[in-house]
Amino acid sequence: MEEMMNKLKILADSAKYDVSCSSSGVNRGNNGKIGSAHASGICHSWSADGRCISLLKVLFTNKCVYDCEYCINKRSNDVPRASFEPEELAKLTIEFYRRNYIEGLFISSAVEISPDYTAERILEALRLLRYKYGFAGYIHAKIIPGVSPEILHQIGLVADRLSVNIEMPNSESLALFAPQKKPKQIFAPMRQITNTLIERNALKGPGTMFKGQQLSIPSSKSKEVFAPAGQTTQMIIGAGGESDKSVLTTSENLYHAFKMKRVYYSAYVPVVDSPILPDKTSAPPLAREHRIYQADWLLRFYGFSVSELFNGGEDNLDPDLDPKITWAIRNLDSFPVEVNKASYEMLMRVPGIGAVSAKRIVRQRKVSAVKFDDLKKMGVVVKRAKYFVTCCGKYHGDRKFEPETIRNSILQMENGLQLCMFGSDWKQLESGERQEKLAIAGVI
Amino acid sequence: MIDYLYDGTFEGLLTCIYNHYYVDKAAGIYTRGQYQPSLLNGYMEVETDEDKATTVYDAIEKKISGYDLKRVYRAFLTCDPDKEMKILNYIVLGFRKGSSVSMLHGNDTVLAVQALEKKISVEKERMLQFVRFSVMKNDILYARIEPDHDVLELTAHHFCDRYRNDPFIIHDVKRSKALIALQGEWYISHFEDYDIPELSADEREYRRLWKNYFDNIAIKERKNPRCQRNFMPARYRKNLTEINI
Repeated sequence: MEEMMNKLKILADSAKYDVSCSSSGVNRGNNGKIGSAHASGICHSWSADGRCISLLKVLFTNKCVYDCEYCINKRSNDVPRASFEPEELAKLTIEFYRRNYIEGLFISSAVEISPDYTAERILEALRLLRYKYGFAGYIHAKIIPGVSPEILHQIGLVADRLSVNIEMPNSESLALFAPQKKPKQIFAPMRQITNTLIERNALKGPGTMFKGQQLSIPSSKSKEVFAPAGQTTQMIIGAGGESDKSVLTTSENLYHAFKMKRVYYSAYVPVVDSPILPDKTSAPPLAREHRIYQADWLLRFYGFSVSELFNGGEDNLDPDLDPKITWAIRNLDSFPVEVNKASYEMLMRVPGIGAVSAKRIVRQRKVSAVKFDDLKKMGVVVKRAKYFVTCCGKYHGDRKFEPETIRNSILQMENGLQLCMFGSDWKQLESGERQEKLAIAGVI
Repeated sequence: MIDYLYDGTFEGLLTCIYNHYYVDKAAGIYTRGQYQPSLLNGYMEVETDEDKATTVYDAIEKKISGYDLKRVYRAFLTCDPDKEMKILNYIVLGFRKGSSVSMLHGNDTVLAVQALEKKISVEKERMLQFVRFSVMKNDILYARIEPDHDVLELTAHHFCDRYRNDPFIIHDVKRSKALIALQGEWYISHFEDYDIPELSADEREYRRLWKNYFDNIAIKERKNPRCQRNFMPARYRKNLTEINI
C-alpha cells in the first residue's frame, strides 16, 4: 500500500497540468458490471486550485524519452519517476469508482521507451478495466504523438474520449519548445480519429460549429463503438509570443478540420528553468486564459467566428471587458434589438443574454409579450443587456446610444466585480465547465 | 378563507387542494406540528383521503401536463416553509392556463415554483457528486448524507443503475432514513446510527489513497480557495472523505 501511495503521489502530481477533466459527452447506462456515464458529466470534488475533479487523472508513467522545454517531466529534469502496472491501475480505478470518488479514468502518459510500447501498456490497463472488471464508466485516453494507427484504433474501442495535445498554437513555437514532436505526428492521429468518427456517424452534440455541415456518410453496420464522446485537445497559453487572435484562429481551424468537441487552454505555469521560457517567478496568465475561454465559448455555442471577434483590427482580446461586449460595442449599428421580434440567433449575440434566457424569451413570446421586468426573472443579466435591447419598443439604457458612453457605463458597473475577480483569489474555468455541462445535457 | 393543516405527505397536500376547490378557499396550508393559530382565519385538520388526492393528481396530469405534475412533486420535496401555498397558486394558475403555464417565465407564481424546482435539482446534482461510499464488511456500500431538501429518492435511479451489483445504503442522517438497494431494486426505510455495518479491512487505506490524490492534484501556483468553496459549500464537507478522512 505504501508503494501505491508513493506512485499515486508522483503520477498524479505529474498529471495535474493536463486541463481536461470533464466526463461529458456520452450517455450510457450500466452495460457492464459497474458504472454508467452521464451526458453532462459529474464533478465529484474540487481541489485547492478550484478545478474540478471528475476523473482519476494520472500519468501511466512519467519516465520520458522526450525533452520538451515547458514540461515538468522532460528527460533532463530531476524529478522522482514511477510507472503503474496495468492491473494495479485498473484495480485502483475500480476501488475509487465504487466509493463514488470519481466518474472514471483520465489516462495520459510520458513516453517510456517508445510511443507504441507505452500505448500498448495503457491499452492493456484499459482492457482489464473494461473486460475483467466490467467497468462501464468514463475513460478519457490521451494519445501520444507517434503512436501506430492500429493501437490508436484499439484504444478508441475501449475509451470514451480521445485527445491528442497540440501543445503550442503554431508550428514555429512547437519546433522551438518541443523539438522532438513534429506537427505531422500530432495531426495524423487527430485526422485518424476524426475520420473514424465520421465513418461511424458518431459526430453529434450541441454547439453551432458543425451546423449545416454534412458530417455523416452511410455507415457500415458495425456494433463496436469508437470514442463516443469524441476528441479534444489542449494548448498552452503564454509560453511563446502568440497573440490571442492566432490562438483562436488555430482553435477555429481545429473545430472545423477535426470536429473537436473542445479545445482546452492552459495558462503556462513556469515549472522548469529555461532561457526561452518565462522565468520561474512569473505568474501564470490566468486573466488572459479566461478571456480566451470566453471567446472560445462564443465560437462554439453563440455562432461567432474569429474574424468577427477581431474585426476591429486588434490582435488581442480586450482585457477589461468580455469579448461579447466588445464585439457588441464595435457593432452598435446592429443594436438595439427588440426582444419580442429578434431571432434566437440574434438574441444569443446580445451581451447579458445566454442560451437559457434566450430560449425562455422565445418560449414565452409564443404566449405573451416579454416585458422589461420579465427579463430579470428569465435570467437575463439586465444591467448588461439593457444597453443593447428594446422591450416593447422602449429603450432602457442610458440616454446616449454611443460606443464610448456604453463602454464607460459597463466598465464602471463591472469595476467592483473585476477587482475581486482578478485579485489573489482569482477564479477561472468553472463558468466554462458549467456551460459545457449544460450544453451537453441539452439545457442550452 | 381557512387554514388547512395536513400530515406532511404529498397526498395530504393534494387533499388540501381538493378542499380548496370544494370546501373553502385556503388562506394557508401547514403541516400539523408547525401551525401557529392565527386570529384571522379558522383552521381545519385535513384527513388525507386517497380518492380526493387521486382526483387532484389526475386533474393536474390531464388539464395541465405530466411535466407540471412532476414539477409540483419536486417542489414539494424542498424544505421551503411556504412551499404549500406556492404549489397551490401554481396549480390554480395551471388550471386556468393549461399546459402553457410553464411558459410564463415572467409570472411570479411560476417563478416561485421554478425557484423551488431549481433548489432541489441543484441539491440532487450535489448528492450525485458528494455521496461518498465506504466499503463495509460483506462488500456493502454505505454513505452518509445531510441534504437540506429531501432528495434521497431522486438519487435512487442514478445509483441503482451504476451500482447494480453492489448492495448499498445511502443514509440521510438528518431525516433518520435510508435508501437501501440491491440488484437495481430499492426502498426507503427508517434508519439509525446503530444500524450501520462495520468497516471492511482495507477501507481506511483507500480513504488515505484518495486523500493523497486529492492533495496532489492541485496546482499550487493557481490556488483559489474561494472558487473551491463555491463548488463545495461548507455544509457538505462534513461527509467528504477527502476533507474529513
